[in-house]
Amino acid sequence: MDNLLEFAKGPLFRLTFAIMILGLIRMVGLAIMNGLEAKKLASDTTIAKKYVRKLTFGFILPIRAFRTRPLYAAVSILFHIGLLITPVFLFDHSLLFDRAVNFSLMDISLSKESADMLTMLTIISGILLVIMRAATKTSRFLSRRQDFVWPLLIVVPFISGFICANAAMSPDGYNAAILVHILSAELIFIILPFSKIAHCVLLPFSQWITARSWKFIAKGPEDVVIALNKEGKPL
Amino acid sequence: MDRISKAKSVLWIILGIAGAVGITRFIFGLGVTTNLTDNTPWGFWIGFDVMGGVALAAGGFVIAAINYIFGNERMHPISRAAILTAFLGYIAVAVGLLFDLGLPWNIWHMMVFWNPHSPLFEVGWCVMLYLSILFLEFAPVILEKWPERKLLAKIHAMLEKVKIPIVIVGIMLSTLHQSSLGSLFLAMPFKLHPIWYTPILPVIFFVSAICLGLTMVMVEGLATSYLYKKEEHPYVLNTLRKSAIVMLLIYAALRFGDIFYRGADKLLFTGTASILFWLEISFTLIIPLIIFSTKGINKKVSWMFVGAFSGVFGIVMNRLNVGGIAHVNNIAESATFYLPSFTEITISAGVVSGAVLIFFYFIENFNVWEEKPVDGTLEVKSIPKFSSNKVYLGSTKVTNRIKFSFFFVIAFGVTFASISGSTIENKGIEEVKVTKARGGDTLIIDGNRDGFAVTFKHEFHKSKNIECGSCHHMNKPGDKSTGCYECHSGMYSEGDGFKHDWHSSSAGAGQSCFKCHDQNVSKGKGFIKSIKKAKDLCLECHEDMFVKNSNIDKYETFKTASYADAMHGLCVNCHEETLKTDSTLKRLKPNLANCSNCHKDDYELKVKQMRGKKLMNKSVILP
Repeated sequence: MDNLLEFAKGPLFRLTFAIMILGLIRMVGLAIMNGLEAKKLASDTTIAKKYVRKLTFGFILPIRAFRTRPLYAAVSILFHIGLLITPVFLFDHSLLFDRAVNFSLMDISLSKESADMLTMLTIISGILLVIMRAATKTSRFLSRRQDFVWPLLIVVPFISGFICANAAMSPDGYNAAILVHILSAELIFIILPFSKIAHCVLLPFSQWITARSWKFIAKGPEDVVIALNKEGKPL
Repeated sequence: MDRISKAKSVLWIILGIAGAVGITRFIFGLGVTTNLTDNTPWGFWIGFDVMGGVALAAGGFVIAAINYIFGNERMHPISRAAILTAFLGYIAVAVGLLFDLGLPWNIWHMMVFWNPHSPLFEVGWCVMLYLSILFLEFAPVILEKWPERKLLAKIHAMLEKVKIPIVIVGIMLSTLHQSSLGSLFLAMPFKLHPIWYTPILPVIFFVSAICLGLTMVMVEGLATSYLYKKEEHPYVLNTLRKSAIVMLLIYAALRFGDIFYRGADKLLFTGTASILFWLEISFTLIIPLIIFSTKGINKKVSWMFVGAFSGVFGIVMNRLNVGGIAHVNNIAESATFYLPSFTEITISAGVVSGAVLIFFYFIENFNVWEEKPVDGTLEVKSIPKFSSNKVYLGSTKVTNRIKFSFFFVIAFGVTFASISGSTIENKGIEEVKVTKARGGDTLIIDGNRDGFAVTFKHEFHKSKNIECGSCHHMNKPGDKSTGCYECHSGMYSEGDGFKHDWHSSSAGAGQSCFKCHDQNVSKGKGFIKSIKKAKDLCLECHEDMFVKNSNIDKYETFKTASYADAMHGLCVNCHEETLKTDSTLKRLKPNLANCSNCHKDDYELKVKQMRGKKLMNKSVILP
């Protein structure tokens, strides 16, 4: 157990954290490069910039969603607030960061009470999100399997972290809980840049590219013909 | 995956590994990440990246000379690729050098602070100038991509006009620094092994650079032809092969003639050095000469590649040998044999991979391969065409980008995870402990262990009516007049004067956290600070800790200064006043910047003589 814990805290953490950071940077880089290059291929290069801007930044603050499904939008916003603020501003995490790299947000970290509150909020809203997704026919139809898995997976480190911080238990129990906490968080780290969760950095870009791409003329078939060396020949 | 995508994937993976390793080198420094020692301060990075890199890039000036000076226009199709190889090779040299320099941000010093007596100064300037020349030589290839831009077209036309002068300057500069890299080692006649050390080292370096230039152009041409499925020009390949044979024979004659003339031939079959020598010679001369001159196999592309690659390998090995491996103190049995560490090899590989990837980029985006017919009859059939809009060789730019960046990220992450910070730190500089001294009259403080000490006479200071508390400013619990070394235990590193973990552990003092820390504060740096000032807090248990009339009244942290810092802080305060009146010292060096002003070899007590003798408790040598 101790060896596993050491491994999870050391090499495995470095691996997953490095892949998460670099992977997210990669995603942003690819999005920008592909977005810029896409314009080269377009025949109509005029873009309604104002419309694109509205669409891009409108999705960052999902106010429009309140009109159609206010309850779902509210729960979703609460979930995101808890999800982002709690791990970053948690005092215990700041302490670990401070020891490792001598820099942290320790002075503006959350108090114990507010951290507990936010954790509970995240757990409840995460579970609610899954239930609401399953309850409505339309969203159930639109969802893939992973859409149900990710919120539940994200909730796991919150639950185990909450147990570690509050429950009084034997050292072995504590170690088991903290191991679950670390490993599940690392699992999230490593799948983050390769899955849907990458929307945390990709959101503005995906909107931007989508908005631009409407202007393009499809050139796919021509490319296939060129790739097959059958230019001018009947298929 | 096609050939080029496979090659690029491997290069991106190497680049990822090198990226993670490179960060480690800059965080932890040279000492712990490389196998370099004081014995072998120049290792793989100098031998391969700098000396090998400069020689590997010699193809640029060799082909430019054949093309423009000797007027062999038929070699034209490879000239652009050769110049690009040279340009990227020199950039790789500069980047590799940044990893090897202890203070890489001072690399510009060479330009401002001149040292005309140093061969390295000459090499540095030459490489810098030649890099600029190579840029000018290659610039037309970039500029001609946008003929519709007027300014670029003008610059292009101007560069075409001065092409020949530029080429001549380039060849001159190459001649200078290729040989100067050899001159560098003329300065160490007793360090370099006699098989390699010779007064004609500059000539040998220059000739071998030409050999390497020719073989490297062959390797580069054959490799890119294979990867891009392009036909190699038979005439060009044949000319290169013939020139390589001539140059290798000249090199062999020079090398062996010199060895026999100096009488070093007795050493050719004895010891480790001879093994190194014969390995080098068989790669450089024997294998390529056999392959290049045997009929039948010297027309086969695969055999040609083997021969050329062996030549490249052999001459790079020569640079490594001269650069550090064949130094007498390295191959002597008493010293530890230097072999490059994982860090050194990966960073060099990473630099090369980066250069190769940029080479591919230029090939795909600029007109590096010209489509001129080689001669009247032979025309090259398939030069691949690259166009940003078209699908090339099965994979698009977009998929390539996704694939290669994925490989890079994964390689970086895995390497970053497998480098353990703690093992690197444990390899760090050994802590210099201060020797425990107590009860002596005179302390002889020889912090650097070099025989130059400063003496401190206890009785003399007492007789000047200096308060004990001035120096013995704090006592350990239950102690009186605690010595300096007890808390300032490291000569150059911080000590721990409080032992936090001992106080909180149940096996130690068993104190509750909240005895010192605020129970109500659970966040921020507020919790780390204690509730009371350290002085009041410690006094609750340790009554005699704080000495009367102590000259130190601030107890802010439980970390203690290093012994050297503590002594300087304590002594300089008082002696500064004396120094102001000391006319001799004041005249010589009014400030205290020079260590030897105080740390002069004491005329009464020679440290070296006193070491190892029992001194009947009169004086204590510290450390």
